Order: sequence, then structure tokens, then C-alpha cells
Amino acid sequence: MSSEVIRVENLSKMYSTREGDFHALDKLSFAIEEGGFVSIVGPSGCGKSTLLQLLTGLLEPTSGQVLIDGIEVRKPLPEKTGVMFQDATLLPWLTAEENVAFPLSLCGKDKKESQLRARDLLKLVGLGDFINHRPAELSGGMRQRVAIARGLVRDPRILLMDEPFAALDEQTRFKMGEELLWIWQETRKTILFITHGLTEAIYLSDTVLVMGTKPGRIIEVIPVDLPRPRTFEMIGSEFFGKARNRIWTLIQEETEA
Amino acid sequence: MSKPSLIRYAILLALIALWFLVTAMEWVKPIQLPPPAGLWAAWQADGSRFLDAFALTAAEIAVAILIAWPLGIGIGAVFGSLRAVSEAASAILGSLFAVPAIILYPLFIAWVGMGPESKVLFGVIAGFFPIALNTLSGVRQVDQSYVTMARAMGASRLQVFYRVVLRLALPSVISGLRIGTALIMISVVVSEMLASFGGLGYMIAYHRTMFDTGHVYLGILMALLTVLTVNWLLSMLELHFSKWQERGAEL
Repeated sequence: MSSEVIRVENLSKMYSTREGDFHALDKLSFAIEEGGFVSIVGPSGCGKSTLLQLLTGLLEPTSGQVLIDGIEVRKPLPEKTGVMFQDATLLPWLTAEENVAFPLSLCGKDKKESQLRARDLLKLVGLGDFINHRPAELSGGMRQRVAIARGLVRDPRILLMDEPFAALDEQTRFKMGEELLWIWQETRKTILFITHGLTEAIYLSDTVLVMGTKPGRIIEVIPVDLPRPRTFEMIGSEFFGKARNRIWTLIQEETEA
Repeated sequence: MSKPSLIRYAILLALIALWFLVTAMEWVKPIQLPPPAGLWAAWQADGSRFLDAFALTAAEIAVAILIAWPLGIGIGAVFGSLRAVSEAASAILGSLFAVPAIILYPLFIAWVGMGPESKVLFGVIAGFFPIALNTLSGVRQVDQSYVTMARAMGASRLQVFYRVVLRLALPSVISGLRIGTALIMISVVVSEMLASFGGLGYMIAYHRTMFDTGHVYLGILMALLTVLTVNWLLSMLELHFSKWQERGAEL
């Protein structure tokens, strides 16, 4: 398939520790098509964050490879992948606009142009009135919106998100999910979303990848055959409940094993 | 004018008035505290020599700052970012900082002479350690998630360091600069008092032996003004960089 933007092949990562080798990830393989929304769920310590670091190019795999647009990832490719973490990590001395433009300033883009681009993106995430606010003046949800805008600023085809809404309260979290779906539909990005929230994963995604632990691997691929746009009522549907139970059972089995 | 600064000026005026009063009433001996006219007389007699002394001291302090600041920040930053050695480096710098630099002053004189060089050297040694130590711990305490984020955004190692790590460590660096600069000023003046041919410290020590109390106080006053000016400049620097730290309205 030519529309695959992310391809992970036999990806393994080992860490050497004093107690011997630790297998963080074992022969992971999966692919994500352009414009897809894929979530990864799994028990704590299953190597979700290691996977994300490998996809970002912040870590080197022990074996196997990650291909983005057919190119092997060996270092961060900010023009292809935007990243977002649980912590917004906005630079406290910069305004929202300057934070969004920061990745552009790293590669020496024209300042005026960067400013306009940052403003457009802040409008997209609903912060058009807050361009000159510093992070300390923004709420947790607003900071994550700025981080989304920053992730989009170099117009990457892919957004990698590592539990981006985990630190937010439930209501804000749900609203952010809605917002993200809207942004996704507007921009047609490919999104890989790592989360602890089963409901969140099913609600947002086309596909949920369930990971097992020790070693970290993919144990099941669950397609979410729910129509778009998603609505709050779908969470109560039979399909939704079954999918959530299935994932829960899988994770329980993994943690008990 | 704000109320606190009004109070400050009022206190200053009251102190000056008190000075006039106690000296005019001869409640203290002129050798302990000269009347204001004594300072004026000293200024009229030797004003230009005091200005030369001030210029020398200010220059020594300036040169010591110009060496100690970059040296301390540079070495602190390098060791702070080398995770493997930063703890050991911090311990070594910390114990060296605890050594009173004054015991080395005779050596400095032997090495570079009694001129301004030994004052600058002494000042640099005194100021370097707190600057390096504070920079080191500031850099070491930077939340690694910022580093991860910056690298994921495509920042080179140098960009991560200059644009993120050093900037996040800045409050700590600035507090190091405050302590270090205070020590530089103390050290320069003290070393002038111990052995030298010039500078405000020299003037104070020399005239003390002559019992020219007016001259001594004039020297003290000028040294005080120098210190206050430098501290004020440092506060401006701190204010400039700390604006973003103030928490805005909670939303």
C-alpha cells in the first residue's frame, strides 16, 4: 500500500541493566495509513513510551526499523512528525505565539512568516485571543492546545501523542478529545495516540492497538467500526461496551500473567 | 513615588540628620565619627586622589566580573550537562568554595605582584565558585522533558543547550551571579586594604593609619556607593529575566 505513512517492522528494543538484559519491545510490527487515527493502549510498563521515542527518532532500535513515508527513522524528523507529550513543556518565558513558532525558529524560518503561521494555528485550536499570554497565564487544557498547535507548526503529516490529556480532569479531557478530532478532520493528519484511557482510545480512533507487557508487544488489533463524527451517545452503545470489555480483559490477562 | 520608597528616603534623611546632631553635640569623638564637614574637607583636600582610587577599584571589579562570570557560567554549564560527572564536579567545586580564598592571597602577590593583577585574580577566584556551583545545579535540575521535547522538535544539541537548558537554569545562574559579584567586590576592596598601592581599599587603610577619619569615611562612602550601584544593576538584570516567572491570573 502506497498510502502507508508509518510502518514499523520487527521493532525490538533491549536495555542492558545490572540484572541482565531487559526486553522493552519485542518484534513489533504494524502500519498506519495516511489520515488514520490509531491509539495504543496497554498496561503500565509495556513500553508504550519507548515505542513513541523510537517513532520520534529519539531512541535507536536494537533491531528492526521504523519507516516514515518510506524513510528509515534514525533521528527526529520534525518536518514529518509533530510530537506532543503528557506535559505541555511550553517554554515559560515565551508567549503562546512564540512557543508555537519555536520549532520554526530552530530551523531559521522567517520571523514574520512564523508569527503568522503560529497565529493561524492558535486560532485553529481556539486560542486566537491568547496569543500574547505566557504559559503561567493559561489553564492546563489551554497549554495542551498550545502544544497541539506547536506540534502542527511545521505542517507534519503525522502527529505522535504520548498521553497528551492524561494530566487533565475528565471534562477537560473529553473536550480536548473532541477538539482533537475536529483538528484531525480539518488538517487530515495521521495521528498515533498513546493513552491509558480505554474509553478515550475507542472514542477517538479508527483502530486500537493493544499492547502486552514483558516483553512489550502488540497482542491484538481492534478495529473501531463506529461512524464519524463520533457522538457522546456512542459510548453507551453495545459495540463500544464490547470493545472496551475486550481490551480490559486483554490488559487484565497481561498484568496477571 | 511609592510608599515604601518614601519611607526609605525618610529613614535615610533621618540618619543624616542624626549624624549632624551627634557630631555637632560631640556625643561621639571625631576620630570615631567625623562631622559631615570632615568628609567635605577630605573631599576638598584629596578629591581627585579619591576619584583615581575609585576608578582603579571599579576597573578591577569590572575586569574580575568580565572574567569570573563567563568562566563560572561556562564551567558550571559544561559540568552540569555532563550527567556522569556533574555530581562529583559539584562536590569538588563545593569543597574548594569552602576554602577561604584569603589564605591564598600572599601567593597571588608572589605570582603577579602587588598591582591590580593580584586584586583581579583574588576577585575572580572568590567570585568563580558560587557562579559555577549555582549554574551547575541549575543546569542539572532542568526537567529532562524539555530536553526531550526540544530534540523531538529538531533542535541540535547546541540549540537545546543555549535556547532551552541555559534559559531554564537562568534563575539559578542569576542567584549565583549575585553571590559571586558580591564576593568579587568584597575581595577586591579587602585585598587593596591588605597590600597594594591604590584603590579605595588602599585609601581607607592608608588614612586609617594616619588617623584621618574624614578620609576613611569618604573612602567607605565611595566603596558603599560602588557596591550599591553594582547591586542595582544586578537587580535590573534579574528583573529583566524574571518577568515571565511571575504567575499570571489563574484561569
